[in-house]
Amino acid sequence: MTELERALVELGHELEIPTSPDLLRPVLSAIESRPKRRLQRRRWTLVVALAALAALAATLAIPDARSALLRFLHIGGERIELVDALPGVTPDPAELDFELALGRATTLEQARRVAGFDLRELEVAPDKVYLGARGTVWFLYGAPDRVRLLVSQTPLHSVDEELLLKKLAGPETSVEHVDVRGTRGVFLSGEPHLLFLLDPRGEIVEDSARLAHDVLVWEEEGIALRLEGDFTKGEAVAVAESLR
Amino acid sequence: MEGRPPDDVMLAERAKRGDERAFEELVRMYQGIAFRTAYLLTGSAADAEDAAQTGFVKAWYALPRFRRGAPFRPWLLQIVANEAHNRRRSAGRREALRLRSIAADPPEDAAPSPEGAALGRERRTELLAAVERLGERDRDVLTCRYLLELSEEETAAVLDVRRGTVKSRTARAIARLRSEVTP
Repeated sequence: MTELERALVELGHELEIPTSPDLLRPVLSAIESRPKRRLQRRRWTLVVALAALAALAATLAIPDARSALLRFLHIGGERIELVDALPGVTPDPAELDFELALGRATTLEQARRVAGFDLRELEVAPDKVYLGARGTVWFLYGAPDRVRLLVSQTPLHSVDEELLLKKLAGPETSVEHVDVRGTRGVFLSGEPHLLFLLDPRGEIVEDSARLAHDVLVWEEEGIALRLEGDFTKGEAVAVAESLR
Repeated sequence: MEGRPPDDVMLAERAKRGDERAFEELVRMYQGIAFRTAYLLTGSAADAEDAAQTGFVKAWYALPRFRRGAPFRPWLLQIVANEAHNRRRSAGRREALRLRSIAADPPEDAAPSPEGAALGRERRTELLAAVERLGERDRDVLTCRYLLELSEEETAAVLDVRRGTVKSRTARAIARLRSEVTP
């Protein structure tokens, strides 16, 4: 430290700074006068549970057969090979289905403006963008009737790994911990179909895995991120880590 | 400089889970530095109190989004500094900082002679005036790094810039200050 820098530090000790008022009481008073964050529901906890495929189709009007995945997906330098599950039926107007399932169609620019947080994006722009419930922004790669990948980002969510393990691990669904850029996430395979979210007031909100395929969920800085597609754990993590 | 107790992360984690007692501890630990940071940024005790208080309340409600395992203090100071900057912008200007009055100086065993004390005070007054003449960006980085003795990480959080930017900004501000005090 130079003499000038030392002089600045000494100057800091000589400044007239009023004594810090007691902030504890007013802060606690302000917190207590507002709705409480509930201990057990403090975070938006993302819970994924199994349900019947028929229930999914009825609820979402997106039959699994329609969630065709293209074979190859090039994202962020990664070449992801996806299994092609061609639709067995002529889809209903797919765009309408996805508006129902995901939210209002919008542009990427508009989504960036209204999201309220910095969207994580892949190098490749999504083919479709939707604004859904609870502030969720959806990126769709492919076309609504031939979906390659879905990416969702929901503010104020977090992922409770223990709960996921407790609720989901079983013969039909595999729940595995993964590491996404140093953040722990959970990879669900075996066709998990339903999600349950807790909103900030602690109310449970039912959500769904839109594609009825593998799901990777993780949390970054208060944003719950989720990938859906037909991929291996390694492929899902590679795509997740390409999000910037 | 206030040290960062080892239980900062632990308390923040408990508070993140909704433990109000843990959050109380964090308020006790950091209310001093939060107020001083806000005061040096606004120059107003009333604005500083308001900014620090609002900052703590916002921190409580933002805790669910707080990154697990991260140090709490830089994050808190960033929120408080945002509040302080908002108030400074609303006020249109920041009040000039002042030196403590001589009468308020605590007696020291090795107190300098009256002449020495006056000389030291004169130098500090000149230095403070030189800091005040700097542009806002230079003044803020020197305020954080030296007057508040914040770490580079904390300064980066308060100023919402990268650590590398803190280094380069500090070097430039020191150079400008040096030219001000040694014409």
